[in-house]
Amino acid sequence: MNTTLNLSAAPHARDRWTTPFIMRMVTLSLLPATIVGILVYGWNAFGIVALAVASAVAAEWLFCKACKKPSTVWDGSAVVTGLLLALSLGPQTPLYIPVIGSVFAIVVCKGCFGGLGKNFINPALAARCFLLISFANAMAIKPVVDAVASATPVGAMKAGEAVDITKMFLGTADGVIGSSILALLVGGLLLWSLDIIHGQICFSVLIGFTLFLGLFGDKGFDPAYLLAHLCGGGVVMGAFFMATDYVTSPVSRLGQFIYGCLIGVLGGLFRLKGNTADSFSYAIIIGNVCTPLIDTYIVQKPFAYRKMIGKTRKTSKEPFRIPKPVIALTLIAAIAGVALSGVYSVTKDTIEEQKAFAQATAYREVCPEATSFAYSDKAQEILGDEGTDADGAHINACYVGKDDSGNTVGYALSVSSKGFGGNVTMALGLTTDGTIRKISFTELNETAGLGMRADEDDFKDQFTGKTGSVTYGEDGVEAMSGATVTSTAVKNCVNAGLNFYETVLKGGN
Amino acid sequence: MKNTFRGGVHPEGHKDLSRESRLRLFDPKGEMVFPLSMHIGKPAKPVVKKNDEVKVGQLLAEADGFISAPIHSSCSGKVKAIEKRRVLGGGMAECIVIDNDGLFTPFADYTQRADAAQLSNQDIIQRVKDAGVVGLGGAGFPTAVKLAPKDPDAIEYVIANGAECEPYLTCNDQLMRIHSNEIVEGMELVLRLFPNADGVICIEDNKPEAIEAMSRAASDKPRITVRTMVTKYPQGGERSLIQAVAGVDFPTSKLPANVGCVVQNVGTLYAIQKAVLYGEPLYSQCFTITGEAVAEPGNYMVRVGTSYAELLEAAGGVKEGLEIKKALSGGPMMGIAVTDLSIPIQKQNNGLTLLAEDPVEQAEAIMTSCLRCGRCTTVCPMGLTPQLMADAAIAGDFERYEKKLYGMDCIQCGSCSFACPAKRPLTPTFKQAKAEILERRKREGGAQK
Repeated sequence: MNTTLNLSAAPHARDRWTTPFIMRMVTLSLLPATIVGILVYGWNAFGIVALAVASAVAAEWLFCKACKKPSTVWDGSAVVTGLLLALSLGPQTPLYIPVIGSVFAIVVCKGCFGGLGKNFINPALAARCFLLISFANAMAIKPVVDAVASATPVGAMKAGEAVDITKMFLGTADGVIGSSILALLVGGLLLWSLDIIHGQICFSVLIGFTLFLGLFGDKGFDPAYLLAHLCGGGVVMGAFFMATDYVTSPVSRLGQFIYGCLIGVLGGLFRLKGNTADSFSYAIIIGNVCTPLIDTYIVQKPFAYRKMIGKTRKTSKEPFRIPKPVIALTLIAAIAGVALSGVYSVTKDTIEEQKAFAQATAYREVCPEATSFAYSDKAQEILGDEGTDADGAHINACYVGKDDSGNTVGYALSVSSKGFGGNVTMALGLTTDGTIRKISFTELNETAGLGMRADEDDFKDQFTGKTGSVTYGEDGVEAMSGATVTSTAVKNCVNAGLNFYETVLKGGN
Repeated sequence: MKNTFRGGVHPEGHKDLSRESRLRLFDPKGEMVFPLSMHIGKPAKPVVKKNDEVKVGQLLAEADGFISAPIHSSCSGKVKAIEKRRVLGGGMAECIVIDNDGLFTPFADYTQRADAAQLSNQDIIQRVKDAGVVGLGGAGFPTAVKLAPKDPDAIEYVIANGAECEPYLTCNDQLMRIHSNEIVEGMELVLRLFPNADGVICIEDNKPEAIEAMSRAASDKPRITVRTMVTKYPQGGERSLIQAVAGVDFPTSKLPANVGCVVQNVGTLYAIQKAVLYGEPLYSQCFTITGEAVAEPGNYMVRVGTSYAELLEAAGGVKEGLEIKKALSGGPMMGIAVTDLSIPIQKQNNGLTLLAEDPVEQAEAIMTSCLRCGRCTTVCPMGLTPQLMADAAIAGDFERYEKKLYGMDCIQCGSCSFACPAKRPLTPTFKQAKAEILERRKREGGAQK
């Protein structure tokens, strides 16, 4: 007998896929989001990512050493855990937080339950929740990009404020490091197209969440509202990278579908009724702990038991399938297209409304006696929709201010002129006899400290009471020193408005 | 449109090693060993004694009972002994050993063609039975039993299995290219037994020459069609073929005949043709010797009883500078690891694969815990959940394994083990669990009596 020959049970061949390969692919698919995060939020974000990954790997190595088990660092799962944790932290988080989180994830959530494949909740998520509860202040997301806004987009949404979906989509809004939806989608769809994650989980999470918000949210199926919620609060990250974690998700297709819907619905519920922006993590954790229950009771039947035995179905043919990578790429392109152009059209009306609102406020400011504004027919004949050019300025619109009993109490004009940094647009208020009541800028992008001083009351108030035409150096009207262009623009606007009164408005309607 | 089944895996084919090597008869010189059990069912009963002179095709042992098959000599010479010899699988079994005289004198004239029209259905089955034809796909089930189901009129499909989904093996490819007419004749004979059946010859799309040859041979036969199958393992499994052709899934407690199908390997059909038309018993079959470690991989018609070692010698031996790490009777997916190459080739064996690297050894080095990734569930051609079955089997929860997870329906095709990224030995676990459950059933059945 030849004893050098190996003996083994069939099969004697193995696929190229290995555990480290899968982990590498997951890491790779997280890289776009990581890179965008670091580019947007800077070096501190890089430090958090590096520390989280390094301490996760170190914790895994040390834990194996301490337990006298063979090291399992090579399987790459610690890298994934560290990276996922880092991406779910804010960019200004103190640097000890990712270290504590990674150690907790690896040692408590994974190691103590028996290592890879044995943990009952997703280690990265569990660590995040642990950190949220234990270090609430350090975990609070501090603004980096937009210093004026005080909250993350989801926080703002909860407070009823408007958010910029395009920024959230690209990842340039404030949020966690891995908040670029586009980058996450690229990675997630890559994993899906390689059959590494199960489509029935990620899509049922997203669908469950969207349906719940659409049905029970206060805005119905308003695309802008739903998109804003989908783009914020880790929904995409959770759906593609957290909920799909193999170890803590069910096995059967039906089970996966139920699990996904459960997470989606819970996520929606927490988002609407909960008082924290981090609710999606908790939804996934609850899904995780339901997994063993789902796996025990929902087991898929073998093909032979699903249909009537012996009943002939149509002969099975290799169905034509569009390759998943093609679908994924198309989806990414479509979503990006929708996000970058479509989102604008969705929000365009809002932007226009806001502009109109600002304009109306300005009119009310420059013509305070009026309670309502109406078109002036005479003015409208000349202005139309486009307005008219006059004396180095452009008259955009003209309204007649009326009081409660319908008497004309003044005029409000919108006049623009070319300034130093773009258009200078003002609301010009005139009394019925053609004297300036007040001016207010609705568009002013001049140099700070120079042209921008036009918005100061000292400068604006000089025009009040003037009539006919205005010249700097006369009647106590002084130009701003060092801002000749802006001063001239303002003067042109005022004179164009006054001239418009003389030629069109004078003598009533 | 190509037919296929659900699930399955895509192991590397490695068929280029031997696919163009033309099938040729190999005449061994050494002693020939005939195990009495080369089929499923009761072992055959010897009808020769020590020192008897035998010739090629002569009966050595007769069938013992309904599910059994006779054994014929593949060489001429003298019976040396009837004794226990080591056989495939590692155990010792009763064998007839013949001292080969190297002349291969035939026992009867096997060139005389019988008139098929004169033969009754009963004659056909009897001739197949007498010739000791067994399923050459690997299982070795006596063919005559398969050809005589309770209700022949209920059979809708006779499926010729030319898929050859097992990596490395190419002998069926060669057989179909060279003996396409004989296979079609064999199919016609079988179709006579099943008046309501269509003959379907299934070939994977990686064998275009075989598809062409078979299509040509079957072109003027209205009842026989050739269908191209997707190259996917286990396409050549009985259940996968029935799924692909008839669209039926059925549990392992049922036989193909229960769903109106009879599946025969193309090699078996070839043997049926020879047995029925020429009265030639089954004493040789097509066989591939291949693998990276073989100097000249090739396809042979080998005589039953030839030792693996002698055939390896004929194929140029082990490649210069290489060492065999693993020897497999059959291909890598369903084959049996062999540690002793002096054992005889049996009727149902169709290949010897010699590997210089052992994928299993390599896989064991990088084994991790189960990730629960679900790839095993995706690839299972039966629609089982191997990952949960393994959990239940390891925990000893055979109740859940059998009732809730339908673990007894595992066909041990090895797809789950192949696909597992964590390199878990799933298929062997199920084999053990099934054996354990059968053992328990037997014990409980005994207790009740």
